[in-house]
Amino acid sequence: MDAEAQESFQQFVAARSSALLKTAVLLTGGDRHAAEDLLQNALIRTAERWQRIDEPEAYVRRVLYRQQISRWRLKWPRREVPVAELPEAGHAPDASGAAEQRLLLRTALSKLTARQRTVLVLRYFEDLPEADVARQLGCSVGTVRSTTHRSLARLRTLAPELTAPDGAAPRPSRDFSPVEVRP
Amino acid sequence: MNVEELVRDSLREMAREARPAAADLADRVLELRRRRRTRRITVSAVSAAAVAAVAVAVPLTDGGGRDVRPAHITDGRVAAHADQSPPRELIGAGDALMAGYSTQKGVDQPNKDRILTRTYRLLDPGTRTYRKDDRWAFATVAPGARMAAVLERDLPASRVGLLDLADGEVKRWVPVPQGAGAAVFSPDGGKLLVTTYAKNPDRAYWSARIQENGTMQPQGVPSRTGFTLIDVAAGTGQWHKLPYWKDRYGEALNARADLEFSHDGKFLWEAVETSPGRKYHALDGTDVRAPAVESHLWPSVEAGLSPDGRLAAGAFAGRGKEIASAIDDPVTGRRVTTVPGQQLLAWADGRRLIAWGIGGDGDEFHQRLVLVTVGSQKVRPLSGFRSPRDNSAGRWEPLFTTR
Repeated sequence: MDAEAQESFQQFVAARSSALLKTAVLLTGGDRHAAEDLLQNALIRTAERWQRIDEPEAYVRRVLYRQQISRWRLKWPRREVPVAELPEAGHAPDASGAAEQRLLLRTALSKLTARQRTVLVLRYFEDLPEADVARQLGCSVGTVRSTTHRSLARLRTLAPELTAPDGAAPRPSRDFSPVEVRP
Repeated sequence: MNVEELVRDSLREMAREARPAAADLADRVLELRRRRRTRRITVSAVSAAAVAAVAVAVPLTDGGGRDVRPAHITDGRVAAHADQSPPRELIGAGDALMAGYSTQKGVDQPNKDRILTRTYRLLDPGTRTYRKDDRWAFATVAPGARMAAVLERDLPASRVGLLDLADGEVKRWVPVPQGAGAAVFSPDGGKLLVTTYAKNPDRAYWSARIQENGTMQPQGVPSRTGFTLIDVAAGTGQWHKLPYWKDRYGEALNARADLEFSHDGKFLWEAVETSPGRKYHALDGTDVRAPAVESHLWPSVEAGLSPDGRLAAGAFAGRGKEIASAIDDPVTGRRVTTVPGQQLLAWADGRRLIAWGIGGDGDEFHQRLVLVTVGSQKVRPLSGFRSPRDNSAGRWEPLFTTR
């Protein structure tokens, strides 16, 4: 990297790092430190190839997504929280307010696997069509579709209050196992 | 509101709440990138007590500029060969000398693994030239440049050899049954710190491959188990457990995680990815706080603390096309000044450093050794330019020690 390239890299990071960090925070389920490290690693990889990359932001984002779902990351214990027991209906917090619902959902999102969360971020935050998500993650459209479906089902399981009608008992899903995307 | 809408809302809210990225992120990224590119296989050039001097007295031929020397330094010897790359004859300045260098290349294995293989040229103190010695997977030179510690191929090695540089013979083998992957001498040369690994830290394993730019690439596997501290005179050592496998994500960035001595040889440290970048241990491996004068040292800046302990070699501090590195106050970490070097490699004395300088083309990997002085913009070339191409025969990595 020559001095000119270094300067353009610094300008890119100064301009886009905060936006990229937002995505990284979502991918890590709200873990700021993990997000900073994830972004830092993606930027290091980007810097290695800086002069050969046409669309830096697209490249960084792709590295972020793929790093996050790489097999190593699945082994980090915080990334997968097995659900041993259903929450007791009687102790469920009042989920009538939107703020409480979002809080419940946020907790549930942090308990998804990295792959599940990544698919949801791409579908519902980046608003990418299924085909684009598949391209970003290097898997089939069918895998994206099934992972989205199972991720949402798992959210309903982890936070049954989100879908339960007032006063009704939560309806648990039967899907308690982490789902892995096979490219 | 259905779950999809809630997910969308929650994600947007979380994104809105995220604080901006740190202002120095780009600098940190470039520094970490440099760190990964430059493998730490050199001996830290820190103050050495009573070491035998190699008789090299080349008078200063560059008379320009003001000579800034503290009173206690009486030796301004500089051995420069600005036309040599790789160097054939001894290069040094003040207390620092280049005791050898290595080149490296990736050697593909039949099972798709790849081994980063180094070839060493070590100083022959008699002829003051660098002599090829391709027996070793790893070598490090003791202060005084009379002896080296060597590891046989393939790593991890079951013993470490103490090599006499004068005749190229191993005078003593010290068994390291835990598997040696790296070694470094203490600043006084009395101890040898051997980092032990379960797997070869220079080998990229196909079994750990990941996808990079559309193709599968083998990756290194972190496997540090601990270290052995060898008493050089007695030839005996004691092993201590100090594993490094993965960071908190289950990912480890470097398979090689060698341990180093602190400037006074009283502690050990290892590079870590999180600030401040160095983690210290007592000589038995227990965690300790960083010594005050080392609490702001960068792990990737090989020069470290000045011999008199008053200054710390800092990180790259250039802006735009300017080539500069910081000189910091070691206790406060505040910048004192800058010197016109790209990477600071070894202190020659209390004011001068051997550094990588770069050519007029601005390519940060087109480098040569230069001598820079605190308080001066003068740059004195010590070697010719090395090749910018990674893992090529023209890209040599210097091995510094103290006279």
